[in-house]
Amino acid sequence: MKNLLRDIRRSPRFMTGFLIFLFILLVSILYPLLSPGDPLAMIGRGTFAAPGTYVSLYDATSAKTETLLLPDADDKRLAAAMSDADRAAMINYFTLSGVAIDDLDPQDTDRMIELWQEIFDENNMPKMTNAQRRDFRNLDKRLKELQASDTLYVMDMGEDGEYEQRGSVSKTDYVNASAVANAKTLLLGTDNFGRDTLRELIYATGTSLLVGLVAGIVATLIGLSLGLLAGYMGGIADDVIMFVTNLFTVIPGFVLLILISSSVSQDMRGPSLVAVIIGLTSWPWTTRSVRAQVVSLRNRDHVNLSKLSGHSMLRIVLSDILPYVASYVVMAFILQVSSGILAEAQLSMLGLGPKTTTTPTLGLMMNWAMLYSAHTNGSWWAYFPVILTITLISFSLNLMNTGLDQVFNPTLRD
Amino acid sequence: MGKKMLEVKNLKTKYVTRFHEDVYAVDGVSFSIEEGKSLGIAGESGCGKSTLALSMMGYYFPPLHYMSGDIIIDGANISGMKPDDVRKTILGTEIAYIPQAAMNALNPTQKIIRFLEDVIRAHDPKADKKEIRERAQARFAELGLPKEVLEKHAVELSGGMKQRTVIAVSTILSPKVLIADEPSSALDVTSQKMVIKMMRELMEKGYIKSMLFITHELPLLYNVTDDIMVMYAGQIVERGSAKEMVFDPVHPYSHGLMGSILVPEEGTRGHKLAAIPGTPPNLKKPPDGCRFAERCKYARPECRFGMVLEKEFGEGRMYRCLMGLDELKEVYDNE
Amino acid sequence: MKGYKKYFGKKIIWFLITLVFAVLLNFILPRLMPANPVATITGKLVGGSTDAAIVQQTYEQYMKEFGLDKSMPEQFLIYVKNLLRGDLGVSFSQYPKRVSEIISSSVGWTIALQLPAILVGWIIGNVLGALAAYIKKGFDKVLLPVSLFMSNIPAFAMAVILLVVFAVNLKVAPLAGGYNYDMIPNLSWPFIWSVITHYQLPFWSIVLVSIGGQAIGMRSMSIYELNADYVKYARFLGIKDRKIVGYVFRNAMLPQVTGLAMSIGTMMGGALVAETIFSYPGLGTTLMKGVTSADYPLISGSTLVTTLMVLVITFVLDIIYGFIDPRVKAATIE
Repeated sequence: MKNLLRDIRRSPRFMTGFLIFLFILLVSILYPLLSPGDPLAMIGRGTFAAPGTYVSLYDATSAKTETLLLPDADDKRLAAAMSDADRAAMINYFTLSGVAIDDLDPQDTDRMIELWQEIFDENNMPKMTNAQRRDFRNLDKRLKELQASDTLYVMDMGEDGEYEQRGSVSKTDYVNASAVANAKTLLLGTDNFGRDTLRELIYATGTSLLVGLVAGIVATLIGLSLGLLAGYMGGIADDVIMFVTNLFTVIPGFVLLILISSSVSQDMRGPSLVAVIIGLTSWPWTTRSVRAQVVSLRNRDHVNLSKLSGHSMLRIVLSDILPYVASYVVMAFILQVSSGILAEAQLSMLGLGPKTTTTPTLGLMMNWAMLYSAHTNGSWWAYFPVILTITLISFSLNLMNTGLDQVFNPTLRD
Repeated sequence: MGKKMLEVKNLKTKYVTRFHEDVYAVDGVSFSIEEGKSLGIAGESGCGKSTLALSMMGYYFPPLHYMSGDIIIDGANISGMKPDDVRKTILGTEIAYIPQAAMNALNPTQKIIRFLEDVIRAHDPKADKKEIRERAQARFAELGLPKEVLEKHAVELSGGMKQRTVIAVSTILSPKVLIADEPSSALDVTSQKMVIKMMRELMEKGYIKSMLFITHELPLLYNVTDDIMVMYAGQIVERGSAKEMVFDPVHPYSHGLMGSILVPEEGTRGHKLAAIPGTPPNLKKPPDGCRFAERCKYARPECRFGMVLEKEFGEGRMYRCLMGLDELKEVYDNE
Repeated sequence: MKGYKKYFGKKIIWFLITLVFAVLLNFILPRLMPANPVATITGKLVGGSTDAAIVQQTYEQYMKEFGLDKSMPEQFLIYVKNLLRGDLGVSFSQYPKRVSEIISSSVGWTIALQLPAILVGWIIGNVLGALAAYIKKGFDKVLLPVSLFMSNIPAFAMAVILLVVFAVNLKVAPLAGGYNYDMIPNLSWPFIWSVITHYQLPFWSIVLVSIGGQAIGMRSMSIYELNADYVKYARFLGIKDRKIVGYVFRNAMLPQVTGLAMSIGTMMGGALVAETIFSYPGLGTTLMKGVTSADYPLISGSTLVTTLMVLVITFVLDIIYGFIDPRVKAATIE
């Protein structure tokens, strides 16, 4: 036993997988403890706010300012204010005016502005529609304002209904982000409902791990007991159990999962029920491998000795057979957990996932992101971290499994 | 004295383990077999006899590595040859091998005749399919095997039949030397007898010119081979004719081995060689002096130092022990 | 030949038994559940209507229409009778379209997408796995972790990644569907070309996720076979390594055929979900539509057809296996 543990610790595959899994597990346990709160609280009104630090504009105007004279501040401001659409419009204007712009890079703000100022003539816009003329005039006006205005005024409506100036913001005024009363860093932005994606992801990881764990336990318990029973008893019990097992190996578990989940009424379908259903449809693999192991053990000397000593069947199974199949059961369990997490995700993708208003799961997050087209509108933070988490959990569990496999079956070693 | 079919001179080979440790499994072995003769090698499991068999093929792949020494087959030294030349011109045609686990030696999903085609074509790429079939049928008939076997897959054959098929396949190219590693150990008595009979026939009919027979069952050797060598910890400790070795062993190790066998008659089997207490030394770090000293009843302090050399005596006999023949005789008589 | 007869006979009987049980489960599972699908659907249909009579009337009409007012055995008889005529009932959500009609227009897409993709993934995976086992060293060191990682990317995730990279960012492939939405299916070249371009991403996403698992399985099998006694024996008879690798590859591949038969259900399940990402007009998307609109007959029909496909494929693979592995013949003779 000691040697075995040492071998397992020495297996680089197992340890890599174990450390990845441990990290994910610890984060999903510790984060909610350190930062409790509702993972599904809608902190934003819009959908899919990009990752970054959000600073309250209101508070920023009243924070203490410092004057910084950064050399490229103007360029940056201009570049940020000019959208891709603006740039395309400018290019369009140049083309319509017949200017050679072959070597002009639309992202080169300096040259674009330079050329614009040189060429744009409010009163001379031939070959253009009225709408185009109007758009170009607006664009020019905006560009001029951006360059000209030096100070923004912060106004407030006083009691008498008149605006009064509260303060002014000059282009060289800076506030320290930490001095602003309200700032929030959203590492993964917000999702389609304006919820903090990172918080949601961590809670979802926890729930999904729990779903996998429950599914794994249910499947392993059923698989193990049926396998032990069939393998040890033999005869009719074996035939019946193996018939059912073979049946459920051929009839895809995924189909049963859909059938059962779609038949359970929605309000009953919480994460734990989904987990149990997954467990109930994924035991046949475990039964098969446990039975095969038990059959080869059944006539070993120590088992026969135990039988001759008049030990009860339960005792023989528990003390003479179970320890020998334990390694297989552990490996099967690990795989069951991983496939349980995947099954939940797939079910949720089809809209059959847990119905919940309190806890997200990885599959639900994926489902929401797809329903709101996060993948086609560029909101990678809403789905990519989810995919990565599912893959990493599954990868780490499978790494642990192959590591164990190599320890238990030395021929597989390189 | 007949023509030497196989001569091995001071052969040394090693295994390299997964942890890059060297195991000196064959450590300076020399012997020869003359035309028409057979030689048996006996020893406990792990003494290096199976490794010796593999080493003599001159075809090395990890974890087995050649270190030094010569293997001369019918006057031609093969130890310096390129592996691919050995494969093309030596294996199967000059020297052939019957593996220890003959039960699994045949590819389960291939028909025997297809495998024979592959074997023959490996040496003669232009061989015609029809000719090969005829040749195989003739040889199988000659050795008393039904020719239907050729059209079957290995999985369809019984254990004994599989073993005899392996022997027929190994010798299809009439090699000069046949090395058989425990060819009959896993079989029942009847099959075992048939295998032995077949090996004798191969010699009598001239399909093989000499044979090396490796086993841990000594009585078997007495009935099958002309001479016997006893191997211990990668070295030969004694050599002599079958009769001498059984009735008059000299080395304390051989003496211990033969001790349990009183009347070695045909059919006596099952006497394992481990009648001597203790285990063989670790060949990763072979001990100084006599390698058997640790387990030898008669060992003296000087046995554990220096090198014990082979001593020749009588007619082609040899033993490896510090004690003189008379001394040993006296010790044995006093028991 | 006698051995084969017995083997095939056994397989056919087994196929029929599983078929019966699959149909039975498909019928009974939804009906065992506490919630009544008709209640759900009428609740949706009548919306906010407070007129109890109208609700009751709609409810009864649907109960009758779907035969739910009869006893279980009676329902089952009707179900089987309809099934034999290829009738899977009427869809709730696409009323009065028949389920068989909806499914028959989608099942072809799924078969044409999934079978070639799984097969190609299986072949590539096996070749890579065998290479990894044979070449070992660097190749194996890189390939194994990569395969392991790849095999753990769920099919739908691979679908999203390919979609984002090739359709959204590089714009070299269409975003969704099985063909351009403004086209009407016909046999013209533009249409066929459109089908081919829409085929690429779903196809490769299934291929890519299948490769990893197969490669890992094949690698273990090949390593096991490379250490087999017959390899050593063939070497000592002077047979070329390349030829021996041929033996090993063939022998390692045989269990992979059975492996494919056993995992085809799981693979197809994953691929069905991947279909929905591309809104591919196959069974997966149909199933999802059924789920989102609580369309029971459609869900049940889709799952039944999926099961049938898996059963048939498993059966065909079993039969093929019987022919290519002589051990099957030997085992049935004993």
